[in-house]
Amino acid sequence: MSYPSRDDEPELVERAKRDPRQFGALYDRHFQQIYRFVYSRVREQTAAEDVTSEVFMKALKAIPRYQDTGRPFAAWLYQIAVNAIADRYRTQRPAQPLDDFHDLSVAGPALEEVAAHRDEMRRIWALVENLPAQQKTALVLKFQEDMKIEDIAVAMGKSSGAVKLLIHRGVSRLRDEAEALRPE
Amino acid sequence: MTARHDPELDDVLQDEELRRLGLLLGSATRSEPPLDEAFRSALRRNLMNQAEGMAERRAPWWRLRISPPVVAWAGAAVGLVLIAAVVVYNQVAPLGTSNQIVISSPLDGGQAVQLQQPIKVAFNQPMNHAATEAAVQVTPATTVTFSWQDNTLSVLPTSGTLAPNTQYQVTIGSTAQTAGGVALPQAQTITFVTQTQTPPTPSPTPHPSPTPGSLVTGEKHLAPLGSTAQGQAGWSIAWSADSSRVYVVTGGGALQVVPANGGDVTVIAADGVTSASVSPAGDRLAYVRGGKLETLNLSDSTTSELAPSPRATLAGWAGSKVVWAAGDGVYTQKGSNGWTQLAPLPTEGTVAVVSISPDGSHAAYTQDQKLMVLDLTSGKSTQLGQDGATFQGWSPGSSKVMFSVTGGIAVADLNGNKTATLPPAAPSWSSKDAILLGGDTALSQVPPDGSSVIKLADGTYNSPVWAPDGMTFAFVRGTSLWVAAAPKLPALPSSLDQAKAVVDAFMQARLNNHPDEATALLDDSGKLAYAPGGLSLTISGDPSFSRYYILTQEITATTPDTAKFVVRLVLSHSKLDVSNIEETLTVVRNTDTDQFVIDQATSGAHRDLGKGAEVVGVEVGPSSIQVTFDSDLDPTTVVGGVFVVDSHGKRIDANSNYDRKTVTISGLDLKPGAQYKLVVSTSVRDVLGHKVASEYDLVIVGPAPDSHESVARQGTPSPSPSPSPSPNPSPGG
Repeated sequence: MSYPSRDDEPELVERAKRDPRQFGALYDRHFQQIYRFVYSRVREQTAAEDVTSEVFMKALKAIPRYQDTGRPFAAWLYQIAVNAIADRYRTQRPAQPLDDFHDLSVAGPALEEVAAHRDEMRRIWALVENLPAQQKTALVLKFQEDMKIEDIAVAMGKSSGAVKLLIHRGVSRLRDEAEALRPE
Repeated sequence: MTARHDPELDDVLQDEELRRLGLLLGSATRSEPPLDEAFRSALRRNLMNQAEGMAERRAPWWRLRISPPVVAWAGAAVGLVLIAAVVVYNQVAPLGTSNQIVISSPLDGGQAVQLQQPIKVAFNQPMNHAATEAAVQVTPATTVTFSWQDNTLSVLPTSGTLAPNTQYQVTIGSTAQTAGGVALPQAQTITFVTQTQTPPTPSPTPHPSPTPGSLVTGEKHLAPLGSTAQGQAGWSIAWSADSSRVYVVTGGGALQVVPANGGDVTVIAADGVTSASVSPAGDRLAYVRGGKLETLNLSDSTTSELAPSPRATLAGWAGSKVVWAAGDGVYTQKGSNGWTQLAPLPTEGTVAVVSISPDGSHAAYTQDQKLMVLDLTSGKSTQLGQDGATFQGWSPGSSKVMFSVTGGIAVADLNGNKTATLPPAAPSWSSKDAILLGGDTALSQVPPDGSSVIKLADGTYNSPVWAPDGMTFAFVRGTSLWVAAAPKLPALPSSLDQAKAVVDAFMQARLNNHPDEATALLDDSGKLAYAPGGLSLTISGDPSFSRYYILTQEITATTPDTAKFVVRLVLSHSKLDVSNIEETLTVVRNTDTDQFVIDQATSGAHRDLGKGAEVVGVEVGPSSIQVTFDSDLDPTTVVGGVFVVDSHGKRIDANSNYDRKTVTISGLDLKPGAQYKLVVSTSVRDVLGHKVASEYDLVIVGPAPDSHESVARQGTPSPSPSPSPSPNPSPGG
């Protein structure tokens, strides 16, 4: 799955820059993914609503100054979201992970295999929760939001190389921790 | 599995196990997190509010100058109908070309818009009907139909009515097009607030001007009264119990009777009469003639005579017993020829009884310059008003007395406590609690609380005296006796209306940021509720307090009169309603002053608007409750979603019916004073499928009957606007 990047998006953005009342179309287009991302990070509905509100309010206020760099508009929204979440949880941990957030698409394989796969995936995603914040953000944007590395770089305010490093370190750490948990 | 190879990760996850983990992470299907659709729409609404403010700040001068509020203000300034126009210019078109699209609506900016009407949106040029209709969005969720007349689009709620107390936003989206295919460069929103559902309380000072016509009907000249002879008390008038005849003591001391519909005058006593009084049963007439007390049996015309000592001066009745005043006290008959003193008069000064009350329990007398009222049972005297006050009359039930004061007529109880002041004139208090005020130049009518003076006619209407029927009255014009009929007074306001007036004044004072005025309407307990640390009388900040409405009102007790009001304080940002606060006010009638005061107040949490259907009106009756929503509802969600529970939380069996935004729960048997809860659950959805954001609970109390309600309901709301012309134009007026 990829986030919307329709051909008319630059035009929508331009309109919103000229007239903020046109921002509604961008909101309609990107609300769901931003909310989902925020929720995946804060794991609590009220907090997700607060942060999502903050993201779009900030985006609206800043839209006249938005510079189109050729990257998807969503990457900019994710950047605001990443910062907002960091600000909010600079001193506190997000709520506990929800078991049923990540699930499988279950087409084809035998039920036992599905069950085993689901079990491992849940364990791995649970381990993601314990990763350092930047690694976790990079993994969520890559594997959950299916973003391109360059766009994650925009969202996180880092270079593509730095994002790759975060992903590499994050997945490596998952591997190490999964092995440590594996029964002898 | 549906894991997908991502080439981007090839050089990041080079190890086999890392790639496997990457695939595993990427194979997770994103099940959507819990999302409150109401939050999504509320956030959009807030964003659009914010955007509106940004756009206003950025708009070029010419757009600002023609923005809706400015047009509205300018329109008001020149006294025109407020029609706010929103003018939109195509971004590429120069001013004044045909590409300019002008949208206007007479409702835009309206604050008490009537409920039964289409929302008219006028365009300055032909539009593509289908595209424009498709671009219309109405908030709150409302099912509408469209019709066109020339370039005006009528958006009509299919229910036939708009919701009360509701801010509507009607947006013409940018997909609207002219007939020539030019799109609206930007969406435009028309905003207005609807009126409250309950009919407005009649103005406390109805002021129908009778000029040039008179509201008095059937004026008729009955009889000459003769001139007041020197040294005599002058004429006096008494009605028969059935209002068919008038007994007159003329200036010459004759006692006459004349039919009220005109006819021959019959002389009962040719001279020497000073006072006459008809018994409450209407069967006898007592009059004083030459110091003797004569009683005429009206059924057989027999007369009995009593010669009391000291001499009688004034006759009256206490039930079936005749009473009279004499120089030293008030007496009643004992046996067939005897008498007994009921109460003595003071012996100091010059003392004279001027009137005996209709029920014979009190007498008014003068003692030098003082006007006194004497309780004939206890013998106790009380002064009425200041020295120099003159007696003007009794209430029909004898519980109130009227006397002159500087600048008017005081209404007081028999302890002399003044309850109202009426304009200066000669008063007569009817059996229907209307007081006529007669004089040389005009006749007026006023309720006993003096709240609304209605001028009935110009002309001379001296010394009016109501007939017992409360419709006709006798009066003196020149030296003659006349009769006429007066219209009913407007209905007295019910207790609920009176309490509502206090709540309205309280809320208006807060809205105008006049906390002192608001505080004046609180009693001590109410002041405590709004003390520091409690509720706030003034509401400042952004969003700002922009309006209020009464969600529900009911009389909950009658001793003393107690009413409960739930008031919504609406907070707005950039002219759009964003949230509200619910306050519950308990309003109690102060038994000393007879006025309602706010005795208790509690407040609920802020409720964000735009999160699904909102309750905007609740009407509680003993057997049914009507709950009005701002949105059209999905009827299938109503029956299980709107219900009443008792004080134990047990759901009460009842019937639910939904029609035009209103759910009626019937078949209830609410006990007066008992507590119940109206519940609107989250299963209720509007026609767009939005559910109510969170359960809404409203505590309600089984209603008590409004002590004045029956009067209010039965009363004629106002005097007949087109009285029949008088058949007898006044010759002497």
